[in-house]
Amino acid sequence: MKIQTIIATLLALILLTPAMAQENIDITGYARNYTGVLTGGNNDFSIIQNTFDLKFEKNSDKISLKVNPYLNHYFDSDLELGLREAFLDMRFDKFDLRIGKQQIIYGKAEGVFITDAVSPKDLREFLLPDFNEIRMGITAAKVNYYFGNSTIEAVWAPIFTPTQMPDEGSIWRPSMIFPITPTYDYSTAEIDPQLENSEFFLRFSSMGSRADFEVVGGYFWDDDPTMHITKEIDPATMQLTGLTVRPEHHRLAMGGASFSTPLGPTLLRGEGGYYSGKYFQTETPTISDATIKRDYLHYMVGLDYTLAGVMLSGQFIQENILDYEQGIRNDEVESTITFLAKKDFLREKLWLELFTYIGVNNEDALIRPKISYAFADGFDVQFGANIFVGDKGRFGQYYANDMIYTKIKYSF
Amino acid sequence: MLTMLTLAFLVTGFSNQSNAQLTGQQIMEKVYYNPSGDDTQGKLSMTLTNNRGEERVRTLTQYIKDDGKVEKKIMYFLSPADVRNTSFMNWSYTDGRGDDQWIYLPALKRTRRISSDGKSDYFMGSDFTYDDLGDRHPNQDSHKLLREETIDGQACYVVESTPKEDDYMYSKTITWVMKDNFLGLKREFYDDRDRLLKVLSIKDFKKIDGFWTILETEMHNVQRDHKTIMKFTDVKKNKGIPESRFTERSMTLGG
Repeated sequence: MKIQTIIATLLALILLTPAMAQENIDITGYARNYTGVLTGGNNDFSIIQNTFDLKFEKNSDKISLKVNPYLNHYFDSDLELGLREAFLDMRFDKFDLRIGKQQIIYGKAEGVFITDAVSPKDLREFLLPDFNEIRMGITAAKVNYYFGNSTIEAVWAPIFTPTQMPDEGSIWRPSMIFPITPTYDYSTAEIDPQLENSEFFLRFSSMGSRADFEVVGGYFWDDDPTMHITKEIDPATMQLTGLTVRPEHHRLAMGGASFSTPLGPTLLRGEGGYYSGKYFQTETPTISDATIKRDYLHYMVGLDYTLAGVMLSGQFIQENILDYEQGIRNDEVESTITFLAKKDFLREKLWLELFTYIGVNNEDALIRPKISYAFADGFDVQFGANIFVGDKGRFGQYYANDMIYTKIKYSF
Repeated sequence: MLTMLTLAFLVTGFSNQSNAQLTGQQIMEKVYYNPSGDDTQGKLSMTLTNNRGEERVRTLTQYIKDDGKVEKKIMYFLSPADVRNTSFMNWSYTDGRGDDQWIYLPALKRTRRISSDGKSDYFMGSDFTYDDLGDRHPNQDSHKLLREETIDGQACYVVESTPKEDDYMYSKTITWVMKDNFLGLKREFYDDRDRLLKVLSIKDFKKIDGFWTILETEMHNVQRDHKTIMKFTDVKKNKGIPESRFTERSMTLGG
């Protein structure tokens, strides 16, 4: 967005703020500085980001409105103005209707996306930002029907929003190794905004004294494009002379469920999803575009426990490609473990936390220790590190991106 | 946990029985069984003061409903700003089951069940543990009437309560119970080495909608010299809070 537009928008917000206060519009938000330094090489800054996040909310018995614009300013003077959410709620006796840009979250897993397929992801900084910043809002109409402690939720998303990937040249760009420099063909990369390209989701959820559970289903576009690869071979030499990569999003169908239930002092969580229509990269030479369509299962089991004031949580996650055949780049079964330990000190002024992803197949990991201190109510300073272990795999591929960072945040 | 905020052990009504030969057990049962209403709603502010006199303030609104078998509570956090719109719900059962607890974090946009084995944890960084504010049954302790004495102009029974369980967080508590209304006026908490740890004092109380209600209370940690003052305002009793208040929808929508 052009800087003039951003400045004009900000000025409008500032000028309108007193009027909004008079209209009993609730204004909250935060200002934050986030500075990260790579610990390898020349100690380059991986990020210097100033964020101003505002929430405007107007609530009445039957209707409410929420608009959540944000502004990111980067050290190279780039300004980014966006809307995390902007929606209107209408509440009736037994059901609610929400229309507009909104984040919709499914499932019981923490830090991984299993049935949580509605809101696409912003992966420009991999999985490092807060998850409310990773999950992007989608334009949708959502109806929730309530009976007792149960809810049926239906979502219609007329406009497809893909995963936001890191820019070319970003240190967070996933590695794709080609024998020669490919040419990209973006002719099929977009999904036209047409009615037949809508996405649909349905969820039943229930909360009770014994357990909570959800059953979900969806018919939607794969947020991540499949890279269809065309090879050009010189018939004389049989040498590879050209590669064309054509990104294309495909339809997926998903059905899944999740639950959480107490087992004495322990909380047991589980979640599983069956995905149909997923394309995987394959190296089988007889397959012309280097992709193959397979269904897959994605599931998780986790335990939460508090020991001597330390909150502990562990999850075991697997992705299992069905009807697997040799040549598919992904492993048939890929396992990941997450671990969280968290404790507060000084009457909740000081928090220590360790969160870790461990990739079992590639023996890689992402270790995320952090310490945060609340100097005053609403004012937090956080120090942390992101340490990548291994040299390949989902986490190990970023082995050169070990970093330390600080976040200074004031909420109002 | 979070059966707190009712301060049940301190909330009583009048007793018209003869109090002549009451034992410690009988006194604490009168405190426990006196009615406090089927439902309660109101605002709560907590002021946390450290040993340097620095203050932090937390505010929330709460709704409590008790049908005799299940006590349901929901809290909506108003401040500080970084926890605003967070809500917390607790269901506690009289049949001995563990509490069910859920938290809604607006940033994460979902309600999640949390494990509830934290009765010795401190609530929101205050000097109150979840158990301090809970509904501890008198049969969980052995009670002994130590003496009768007058404090703050109120004639009181002084009862020492020793836990029957081995690993309880306090070695004993001593409670001053007002004779005329069986309202707890003061309580001392002793740590596992039998040293005085905290003192709870009731600063203000009155009858609301026919029930004695605590309006201001202070918990002073004498070992660390910090304290928490809780003030209850806009308190209403028996207004018929609907069951739908204690649902996921309600947690998401806020107070």
